[in-house]
Amino acid sequence: MIGYVPGRSPLHRAHPYTTLALAGAILLGAFALTGPLAVWLLVLAAAAFAAVGGVLRASLRTALVLSLPIWVLLFVLHGLLGAEPRIVLGPVALSAAGVARALVLGGRVTAIVLGFLAALATASPHALVEAMTADGVPFGRTFLLASTLTVLPRMRERAVQILEAQQCRGLRLGGSPVARLRALGPLVLPLVLGALAEVDEQVLALDARGAAGAARRTALAPPNDSAGQRVLRWTLLVLVAAAYAWKFRSMRG
Amino acid sequence: MNGCEIRVAGARFAYGAQEALRGIDLTIGAGEQVALVGPNGAGKTTLTRLLVGLRRPSAGRVTVGDWDVSRKRPDEMARRVGYAFQHSDQQLFARTVESDVAFGPRCLGRSAGAVPGVLEELGLTGVAHLHPYDVPGPMRKLVALAGVLAMEPCVLVLDEPTAGLDRAQRLRVVAALARRAAGGEGVTMLAVSHDLAFVAEAAARVVVMRDGRVAADRPARELLYDREALAALGLRPPATAQIGMALGLAGSPIHAREVVDALRRTEWRRTAE
Amino acid sequence: MTALIALEHVSFTYPGAARPALTDVSLELAAGDVLVVTGETGAGASTLLLVLAGFAPRVVGGHLSGSRSGTAQRCGVVFARPWTQLTGLCPTVRDEVAFGPASLGRPRDAVLAAAGRALEQLRIPHLADREPGQLSGGELQRVVVAAALAMGPDVLALDDPAAELDPEAADALYDLLPAIARAGTAVVVATPDLERAARVATRGVVLDAGRLVAQGAPAEVLDATDAAVIARAAGCPPPLPLDVPALVRRVAR
Repeated sequence: MIGYVPGRSPLHRAHPYTTLALAGAILLGAFALTGPLAVWLLVLAAAAFAAVGGVLRASLRTALVLSLPIWVLLFVLHGLLGAEPRIVLGPVALSAAGVARALVLGGRVTAIVLGFLAALATASPHALVEAMTADGVPFGRTFLLASTLTVLPRMRERAVQILEAQQCRGLRLGGSPVARLRALGPLVLPLVLGALAEVDEQVLALDARGAAGAARRTALAPPNDSAGQRVLRWTLLVLVAAAYAWKFRSMRG
Repeated sequence: MNGCEIRVAGARFAYGAQEALRGIDLTIGAGEQVALVGPNGAGKTTLTRLLVGLRRPSAGRVTVGDWDVSRKRPDEMARRVGYAFQHSDQQLFARTVESDVAFGPRCLGRSAGAVPGVLEELGLTGVAHLHPYDVPGPMRKLVALAGVLAMEPCVLVLDEPTAGLDRAQRLRVVAALARRAAGGEGVTMLAVSHDLAFVAEAAARVVVMRDGRVAADRPARELLYDREALAALGLRPPATAQIGMALGLAGSPIHAREVVDALRRTEWRRTAE
Repeated sequence: MTALIALEHVSFTYPGAARPALTDVSLELAAGDVLVVTGETGAGASTLLLVLAGFAPRVVGGHLSGSRSGTAQRCGVVFARPWTQLTGLCPTVRDEVAFGPASLGRPRDAVLAAAGRALEQLRIPHLADREPGQLSGGELQRVVVAAALAMGPDVLALDDPAAELDPEAADALYDLLPAIARAGTAVVVATPDLERAARVATRGVVLDAGRLVAQGAPAEVLDATDAAVIARAAGCPPPLPLDVPALVRRVAR
């Protein structure tokens, strides 16, 4: 759901900088665009991005799950509490302007989340490390970035194991809010503590293999880049800058 | 604390398309001490997961005493079955060793009265006040086991209970299990283990699994003396059985005490010639 | 002959610890050694390993008194849990093993050659293109050892390397250690598993509460194997037989 899924799509074969640039452009563009039409075109663009990567269904599902609480909050805040005039929908009277606002804000969140899920699913952490290594970035920094990309699937695996272990000790899941709160400690603490203990060993093991070394690492298989992709990345940058320039002009004018 | 009987009838389980258990029939009487051995992928851990309600069999029936496992949640099964996982780090969290060991009994609404005794048995009294992660790795494994024993279950299911432990710790585990096996209120034990020295001391019966099926079910004294059968599993007889075989000791001794008694009147050569 | 590593009157205390983990330990490691360090849990075997390999106090922190000297330039380390010692980023075993030499900035061909040699040494060239996540514990641990050896260390320190492995895999791992030592990397193993360690050790060291209480030939020092314990209890005079064949040879009848 969240994390790299191997594949052969054009996005998988693209240079990881390109994939991340596309996700970044969606992120920045989401805040530059203001009207509901523009924002929802961006959502469509993010969906297209995911489709090209062959991960549309999974990303869409996860994006909806993740952004659902925000949608609910937005509709409550802006729809129910927004300004006149109101549309009556059965027992509820929603503010038209409020709904429009909720659609824009919610659309932004959905576009961003969808874009990043698609990027995480198609940019291989290994390819990213190799790309950064080929550019001379010290390993410490690349490892930090790449590890955050791989941490979620690992954590999920461990979380399931911890859940099972604590249940076998009699921990009851569900129940009252107080009971659920009390169950957090036994579920979350082993996750964190266990991860820290593992990190201790990993740090030593990787240190012994030169991870913290001063020499410039040899990139063994730097991902293929192409002039086309470089042009695309620069174009995205220009487009995003233009969108912000337009936004500030229309704000001032 | 009455021992409970484990009955597995025609149990099947698959992880997706991969069949892990292909029809297991097994009965472990109340108070029996059984070891489960077999190569990796034989389905041993999967079977133990069925016994605690972490997985439901896709076919067949699994009961512990009068409880049908498919009708119970794992936290309900915890009232009867104590499960010691192979890796302990996935459950330790409390501020001190003592409070972590008391967690299980507290969840079950029982008194934590057994805790000091269990800590003493496993040699953890000296570290009872320390944070679990301030204690060396193998000792954390004992902390997790202590947590299971403190719940005073009538069935113990253990997954590689001696992996990574030193000799003194292994002896403590064996003694703790023996104490619970003894007497009329014997606790039923099923231990997955490839440590045959432990199996020799702790189990009277050995069930061999292979490819999701029960391949053999024999008394420990018999199987541990069967070099060929063990070699087929990638195992060697424990030192006690090897000595018994090499010296032709009567009665197929498998406990260290038995072998020592048999060797007491030995004349020993001075050098290694 | 200058030792690879020489410890003189070394005491070591972990950061924030009340008592030292090692007290007044003097020890030398020479080329070709397979040194086995043993003792009860908490006696300091793992700590001694970290001090010998130069990770304490450099990476671990803490305070060291006494002196550590010697000609060893680089030390490799292997811990009990295979999966915590991987980068988690490499798609193939070959990439994982090549990670160390790549950190040294050597040319690509030299890096791949070093990885290939290490895989040969561990007898796992057939695993080169496999995904690390798909391997069994025993195979993975051999990958970890290969990854450490690919750096060309002078010393390889192993902390209970077979604790998580089944008996066949454990035997296979220990059986490789003498060849590794003969090929030019001295080996130090900390383990309570004397059944296997005693078979391959050239020297033994016993620790008790952080102090070195015995040092010398395996037959004299590593006498806590099952066979030795039984022999002692049955009245066998020293030196105790370490394995069953040796015990049987000592029985006069």
